Amino acid sequence: MKKLLHILLILLTLLPLASCHDQPEWKNDPYGNFDALWQIIDEHYCFFAYKDVDWQEVRLRYRAKVHNGITSRELFDLCSEMLKELQDGHTNLISAFDVSRYWIWEQYPVNYDERLIDEHYLHFNYRRASGIKYQVLDNNYAYMYYGDFASGIGDGNLDVIFSQLASSDGLVIDVRSNGGGYLTNVETLVGRFIDERTYAGSIQHKTGTGHNEFSNPYDYYFEPAHNRVHYNKPVVVLANRGSFSATNNFVSIMKSLPNVTIVGDVTGGGCGLPFTGELPNGWSIRFSAAPITGPDGELTEFGVEPDVKVNMTEADVAQGRDTILEKAFEILKSKRTN
Amino acid sequence: MRIIETGIRRLVTALLVMMLAVAAAKAHDAGEKPLRPVAGMFTAEVGHASVLDSYLTPIAYGGTAMRLGYEAQQATGFNPERWTRQLDLGINYNYTHNPAGNHTMHALTIDARWGMMHRWRGVLTPGLQLMAGGSTQFTGGALYNANNSNNVASARVHWSLGFMGQAVLNTRIKRLPVTIRYQATLPVAGVFFSPEYDEAYYEIYLGNHRNLVHMGWWGNRFDMENFVAADLHLGGTSLRVGYRNRIASSWVSNINCREVTHCVVIGIGGEFLSVGRKQRAESSNIISSIYQ
Repeated sequence: MKKLLHILLILLTLLPLASCHDQPEWKNDPYGNFDALWQIIDEHYCFFAYKDVDWQEVRLRYRAKVHNGITSRELFDLCSEMLKELQDGHTNLISAFDVSRYWIWEQYPVNYDERLIDEHYLHFNYRRASGIKYQVLDNNYAYMYYGDFASGIGDGNLDVIFSQLASSDGLVIDVRSNGGGYLTNVETLVGRFIDERTYAGSIQHKTGTGHNEFSNPYDYYFEPAHNRVHYNKPVVVLANRGSFSATNNFVSIMKSLPNVTIVGDVTGGGCGLPFTGELPNGWSIRFSAAPITGPDGELTEFGVEPDVKVNMTEADVAQGRDTILEKAFEILKSKRTN
Repeated sequence: MRIIETGIRRLVTALLVMMLAVAAAKAHDAGEKPLRPVAGMFTAEVGHASVLDSYLTPIAYGGTAMRLGYEAQQATGFNPERWTRQLDLGINYNYTHNPAGNHTMHALTIDARWGMMHRWRGVLTPGLQLMAGGSTQFTGGALYNANNSNNVASARVHWSLGFMGQAVLNTRIKRLPVTIRYQATLPVAGVFFSPEYDEAYYEIYLGNHRNLVHMGWWGNRFDMENFVAADLHLGGTSLRVGYRNRIASSWVSNINCREVTHCVVIGIGGEFLSVGRKQRAESSNIISSIYQ
């Protein structure tokens, strides 16, 4: 008992040293908000080395433009410009009046026209389940358009879709202008095209505030969808610069499968899992925090190269033809004849 | 640092041994078996919460804290004059906002604590009792910040061992019997869950379970509860008015968590006996855990 009391006394003297840890606090003024933004990015952003960004130099350059009389919108624009130095579509500053963005696809051809597909290929006659538009086309190739990986995919829905498309000679999965969503939906969809446990890539996370403090890469695998309807015929995935984030991840994994061809433009990239922080004035800051590689071990932050690069032409569009989709038919036809 | 860790390890072992030994002990009194009523109290609490979880946001949130709880205290089966045990269960909800007022964070947790204390009656004055002993506590739940992307939630799982103590004064205000109590609970060591810095729950879902469980001690987490209450005895019913302060903080994997609540407590309860008619007739010795 005496020993116990001894230990207790020692511990009680240590009580004031207990784990309370100082948290950085910033004033809610132009300098405080700027410093908060800079520091959050400094401590959490995951691609400084990969993109060779000197964040200290960026701070000096942009902080010199802050002054106490700066308006909220001017500060927002200044911060937005600073964030563009990161060249990251996952990095957004979000205020009540605007969202800053670095959306690379805005600088490239759209390469997708939904109306054209609906009118000239689907003839406005298609089914829709789990956010997926699908139909077997006149040429007996199946077409499915998935426009948002945030749309939940139900296994039952996928069973119905792939049963419906089973009689087709090949499948086109169109994920053009799909800006991403949930990675769990990527796993659910890919599971219908694999027959064995398949390496999908690796994920890391930051373990501390330093720019190079990362965990060891964690390899992850996708399992085939057991006792579910699969599609085993040739597949072509259509992509464009608007295929971003989770869609970029989907394309990188599908590209590694033997029976799949990627057609269209380079994807929009975005392979960093985004986290969110906030500034004293209530603005939110979203940023890439955890890098994910594709099955080839490479980061796809700047996009996935298609197997066959094709842009839509104005002449084709004028004739109601989707150049990229036509290329997909060509590829499926050649695979069938081979 | 190693000395402290060794000390804590010895302390935890000693606490466990003490609690197990006491629990295993048998009453030596071969005489009349006393009745041991349960002092039960249902409580509702409301107050202020200050919450920081740097995994979710570097900004501290403030708002409303709420708790529904049930507390039961009873003299132990062995040596009931000198030992008492307490069970405390609660469900907590904190509804907080950032200072700018445009983001909301919800925290929903459950907690369960069981403690056993030695009791010294009639200390200094006849109505004053002091109690001291050990307790074990579990907390589980999650914080949710709807504003966020892949760091939208932060789980709370914590089990600990520590000390608890009470100072109880049974007195009267005019003719009304009142029990005034101060209770402190101080977890010392345990285990708790935390993701690594910027580790998404998606990565955990994928199967990376490394470094998620941490040994907790005062070097990386500090928890404490202070509770003051006055139980007003109105016949067989007791009404409680009190104040509870809770502190839960941790610093691990460069993630800073801190939660402080100050709540007003109201409650209703009383002492309950569960005995057969024969036992009641035979027994005249009733040992209250707290109210006498």
